Amino acid sequence: MELSRREFIKLSGAGVGASIAGATSAGSVLAQSSAFSPEALAILYDPSKCIGCRACQMACKQWNGLPAETNDATGLYETPLGLSAATWNIIKLNDRDPEATHFFNYQCMHCADAACVTACPSGALFKDPEGFTAYDPDKCIGCGYCTQWCPYGVPHLQVESTLTGVAKAAKCTFCQDRIWSGIGGPSCAERCPVGALEWGSRGDMMDLATMRVDELKAGGLDGVRIYGETEASGLGRLSILYDEPQAYNLPADPASPTVARVWQSVVQSLGALAIAGVTVGAFVAFVLSRGRIQMEEVE
Amino acid sequence: MSVQLRGSDRLVHIRWIPKYTFLERLGHWVHAVTYIPLAFTGFLIFAPLLKGLSQGDWGEALRVTHRLFAVGFGLMPLIYIVFQPGRFLMNVRENFRFTRYDIEWVKAAFPYYVLGRHADMPPQPRFNTGERLNAAMIMVGYVLFGVTGLLMWFGKGIIPQWMFQTAVIIHDLTMIATFCMFIIHFFLAVAHPLMWQSLISMRYGVVSESYAREHHAMWYYGEERAKQMWKEHQAEAGS
Repeated sequence: MELSRREFIKLSGAGVGASIAGATSAGSVLAQSSAFSPEALAILYDPSKCIGCRACQMACKQWNGLPAETNDATGLYETPLGLSAATWNIIKLNDRDPEATHFFNYQCMHCADAACVTACPSGALFKDPEGFTAYDPDKCIGCGYCTQWCPYGVPHLQVESTLTGVAKAAKCTFCQDRIWSGIGGPSCAERCPVGALEWGSRGDMMDLATMRVDELKAGGLDGVRIYGETEASGLGRLSILYDEPQAYNLPADPASPTVARVWQSVVQSLGALAIAGVTVGAFVAFVLSRGRIQMEEVE
Repeated sequence: MSVQLRGSDRLVHIRWIPKYTFLERLGHWVHAVTYIPLAFTGFLIFAPLLKGLSQGDWGEALRVTHRLFAVGFGLMPLIYIVFQPGRFLMNVRENFRFTRYDIEWVKAAFPYYVLGRHADMPPQPRFNTGERLNAAMIMVGYVLFGVTGLLMWFGKGIIPQWMFQTAVIIHDLTMIATFCMFIIHFFLAVAHPLMWQSLISMRYGVVSESYAREHHAMWYYGEERAKQMWKEHQAEAGS
């Protein structure tokens, strides 16, 4: 969700101090509704249909040309261990409840109010008009601010050298090239053999999710819910959860990027204003002093 | 030392008083030649209007350059502390000591520096209020830049997100504050007609006796005598 500076200051109170103090309230206001239009594109993940085949993972790697990762396996379903610069889509086993183990897919949540987009100083991350969070690697400077602001820990840095700081961010792009060229939708959703991952308009995905939650509840699963309807002003990746979001290591109330917005809109704007003001002031003082001070009297 | 004034056959005798050691002057210039590129390269990421200049390979090169100068910026004061710890401690003590004379200095600064009215300037020690504010900000800024810069450089993914975010914002705020001070410092030290000896002192380490008497009476006469002279001056001005 794009907020103009004026709207933001109105939301969070006038002035810098009030803006910081109002960070929570602004976040809460944003979190109460979705900023997506029903026509925006979205992915729906339904773990009740997922068989853990990892076709989504493979499709993502194939389409995006991502290399395989090697690591010491800590369990049957835990390779790779998590999202990384080379793994943008992963299936993990949720075994918190041994009686009800199931798979869960992790990828970019494509937040409407995306913290990574707000924090990105080079404009490499941006919201596509279709709603997903797109990425232009040519603009990325590898600062890693996106990795430090995302409440889901999705973007990762491909670090070439820690010493020089040369790096590139990487994350799921909703297969933006497929969308832009009209080939189709996200490769993960298109490859899923059982319909656990679907893609389409967010309105359709919400209808599908609501219907599925009703079916699962009718089947006796009382704790089933939709995740992503309003979180972070709405997510472009909707999920059906059996339990509280914390059971999936997902934040119940993902941090609003208000701090990033205060930093970029208020701190940086006021800072630029202060520097410009002091420069003009010093120049005026210089001109005045040259005219008024008699050098013959100077010691 | 005697010098002949340009266009005159008059000889003027100048007595020079040492103010800065060689290492202090070297430190000042290393600080200047590292701080300016650091500010420039940081600005391109900082200012939304300059976003176009900080993208892709060019942006990446700026980040590498920023780190390169940061090493020089960070090392020079450490070298000074190691080789001249006594001078360093003395300078810290002097630059963080503010008295009521500094309030009077601030009040008199605008009429003096802009209009040339010197009579109201209170006596000052080896560093005047402006120099001390500048030095204090540089020292605090050095620590803040150092800590937040190292956290941003090496702490990504190791330190908690809130700590990284705080470091980024403090780094920016420190840049804003120090850059505003830098502009004022540049105006007073390089461009201002009354401060023509500041560049000499930063090149050769000395100021003239007359300059020391005029601008740093507490240093030249000693604190008690300078205060007494100031009192007498004020009484004269009041009567």
